[in-house]
Amino acid sequence: MLGSIQRIETPMHRFSEAEEVDYVIVGVGAGGGVLLQRLARAGFRVIGFDAGPFWDTERDWVSDEKGAHNLYWNDMRITAGEHPLAFGANNSGKGVGGGTVHWASFTPRLHPSDFSIHSTDGVGVDWPIPYSDLKPYYELMELELPVSGPSYYPWGDPHGYPYGPHPMGGVGDALIRGCTNLGIGVSAGGPVAILSGSRANRPHCIYRGFCIQGCKVGAKASTLITHVPDAIENGAEIRPNCMVSRIHVGATRRVTGVSYFDSDGRACFQKAKAVIVAGYSIETPRLLLNSACPGFENGLANSSGCVGRYLMAQAGNVVLGRFEELVRMYKAPPAHALTEEFYETDPKRGFARGFAIQTVGPLPMSFAKQMMVAKGAWGWGLRSVMMDYNHWAAFGFLGEILPNADNRVQLAEEKDRLGIPIAKITFNLYDNDKKLIEFGKNKTMEVMWAAGAQEVVQEARYAHLVGAARMGDNPETSVVDQFGRTHDIANLFICDGSIMPTQGSANPGLTIMALAARAADYLIAEGEEIFKPRTRNIRKPPMRRDLSPPDTWGHGMPRI
Amino acid sequence: MNSQTERVDTRPVNTRTGKPIGPISQPGYYPGFSTLAQQKFWDAKTREVVLDRVINVPEIRFFSQQEARLLEAICDRILPQDDRDESHKIPIVPQIDRRLYENSHDGYRYEDMPPDREAFQLGLRAVEEIAQHEYRLGFLEIGPREQDRILQSLHDGKPSAAHEIWKRMAVHRFWMLLVSDCADAYYSHPWAWDEIGFGGPAYPRAYMRLERGEAEPWESEEKRYQWKAPDSSVSGVFEPVAGQAEHLGSPGQGGTH
Repeated sequence: MLGSIQRIETPMHRFSEAEEVDYVIVGVGAGGGVLLQRLARAGFRVIGFDAGPFWDTERDWVSDEKGAHNLYWNDMRITAGEHPLAFGANNSGKGVGGGTVHWASFTPRLHPSDFSIHSTDGVGVDWPIPYSDLKPYYELMELELPVSGPSYYPWGDPHGYPYGPHPMGGVGDALIRGCTNLGIGVSAGGPVAILSGSRANRPHCIYRGFCIQGCKVGAKASTLITHVPDAIENGAEIRPNCMVSRIHVGATRRVTGVSYFDSDGRACFQKAKAVIVAGYSIETPRLLLNSACPGFENGLANSSGCVGRYLMAQAGNVVLGRFEELVRMYKAPPAHALTEEFYETDPKRGFARGFAIQTVGPLPMSFAKQMMVAKGAWGWGLRSVMMDYNHWAAFGFLGEILPNADNRVQLAEEKDRLGIPIAKITFNLYDNDKKLIEFGKNKTMEVMWAAGAQEVVQEARYAHLVGAARMGDNPETSVVDQFGRTHDIANLFICDGSIMPTQGSANPGLTIMALAARAADYLIAEGEEIFKPRTRNIRKPPMRRDLSPPDTWGHGMPRI
Repeated sequence: MNSQTERVDTRPVNTRTGKPIGPISQPGYYPGFSTLAQQKFWDAKTREVVLDRVINVPEIRFFSQQEARLLEAICDRILPQDDRDESHKIPIVPQIDRRLYENSHDGYRYEDMPPDREAFQLGLRAVEEIAQHEYRLGFLEIGPREQDRILQSLHDGKPSAAHEIWKRMAVHRFWMLLVSDCADAYYSHPWAWDEIGFGGPAYPRAYMRLERGEAEPWESEEKRYQWKAPDSSVSGVFEPVAGQAEHLGSPGQGGTH
């Protein structure tokens, strides 16, 4: 079961290991899920590997904070640096659907300015493509998920959403009240990839608040329910519980397939004409580095030295306010209102780029730990502030952290249970980041006060990951081209958040999916050329709207 | 416990009546509210997982008896339950023990920390050493206020002893690991949900009253009372965790957006 009524009726196709398939995709998350569906629909023989399970959402998932622990990537990683990142539940999924299983599913687009911050602000790096190249894919993904939100969204490139906005919960009310009192524009009811009305075999949202514990309802989009079923209907195979440990390179400096451990821990090999890595910003560089071999001593696709570098997280401070009246923030999706009024660079602030302010809705375990940090609560203090849980509202500040070569993923000496070296991640904040966080945190607290809070505290944290295998035109300073093809190996691709050169202050999920749909159009347009030596075209593919999953294209989109 | 500690009242105090609270079955401002009473409206898997947590308290397999007793005393101060009657105390140590026995973790470890199993064993040794250094008694033999002072010194990042151990792990990281584990055990329990008025699982029935903090027909209205921590405790006030600069980050932080 996927959600409360969806089922996959078609038996899944099984390829043999000896059979050379067209594509192996490593990781079936936001990027891998969309790509798998597109390639299958276009008739390619494709296998998606995932290190975690193929979920039966009704049987495997729970409406319970602690019981959701197995949705996350819980294999060990070492976190280091002056500002070490948290992983697991914070930003890493494991299992078919990947991070989209546990995202809150805010789905704003990047702004046009995000694609050229080096040219305009002298910071970070420009993308190899402008916003206009990605815009039609944003529109497509907003229909395929689909995204609920206002009919006029004013920031960046103004646009509307195909599904109506969600009703407000107590936190959204507080954000609207605070912003309105300060004269700040605010978007109510989205953009969020949660159904506000039923569609086909997916029910509408029931406002139970457990979005990031996995949506049992099937109202919140994840590639598990939006793209994987169509991929299987069209002949794709998914091998769950299979951990890919190495990508193999043949004598002609082309990849030949992948080694993996199957669900029983057996070492296996799958032949493929091309390999697409979609393991997100930690596992993708980890796999490339672990695949080092003669001729590629520093890891695959790493002649630039950029594999693992320019890792980014967004500043994600949680600002908590206590109100005299009750809020009950566990109701409604955590993601339901936001403002991007501070997204763009404002020279008066003394730093480049900006931030968003969004609703969040921590459940009791998370809230207790936020109080431990934000107020130093323990003992009777913790008991007493927790008894006030229903009086608190929480905003998430989402700030752009700039790419830096020293924020990176490397291999540790320690190995996992399969004997594969684990990742060590080093993360530091730099001057612009610190100024941006200080300003944004204070602004978010100001909004909370303006909403009428009697007490406002905050916890420093980070949200999301992108980068560590960035795209660019220059093979000396980037890992992949604008379609995700590695500069060094013509039949090795990357398709996930790790290719993003910068991140803006938009949640990355929608952008990862839009990039995947664009990469799919490229692969499909190039066809068999991809599998031949010495062909490498950079030409924009025609857009294939006919490859959307059924029942998604042709629904209404408000005119703006 | 020695005779001195038996005389100390460790219960919180109702500030209007001046009387100690409890022990009762359900502290908090939502008397009579029961999430478990709603279990027939939950999906089968959620019901199974939550009921298992309530009914099947795991036995101690990772810690030694001695370590378990010491950790029990520590957890009694980090999440004191003196207002709860014996049959409604929420088990903390068995949950921590199970996590460590199964070697389950959150998917990362700080570079300046040993693995969680070792961190707990080192931390327990350190707490005992501090008690010996400060009072020439074991942690189990000193009174609740003295126990709190030792824990407060970890919270403040200023332990008076066991410096060899603190060279192997950062005090504030151990402190947050310990408090996080206690908070996970307590606030994942449906009795704690009842205490704080959290509605709990709501699939497939849903929530329908989203705004203005309104209660569902099956939830309870808040009935507040004023109370304070007992005089035997120092944990009723809020002070920042020591060393907590902007860069600290918290262990076990869940995704929020």
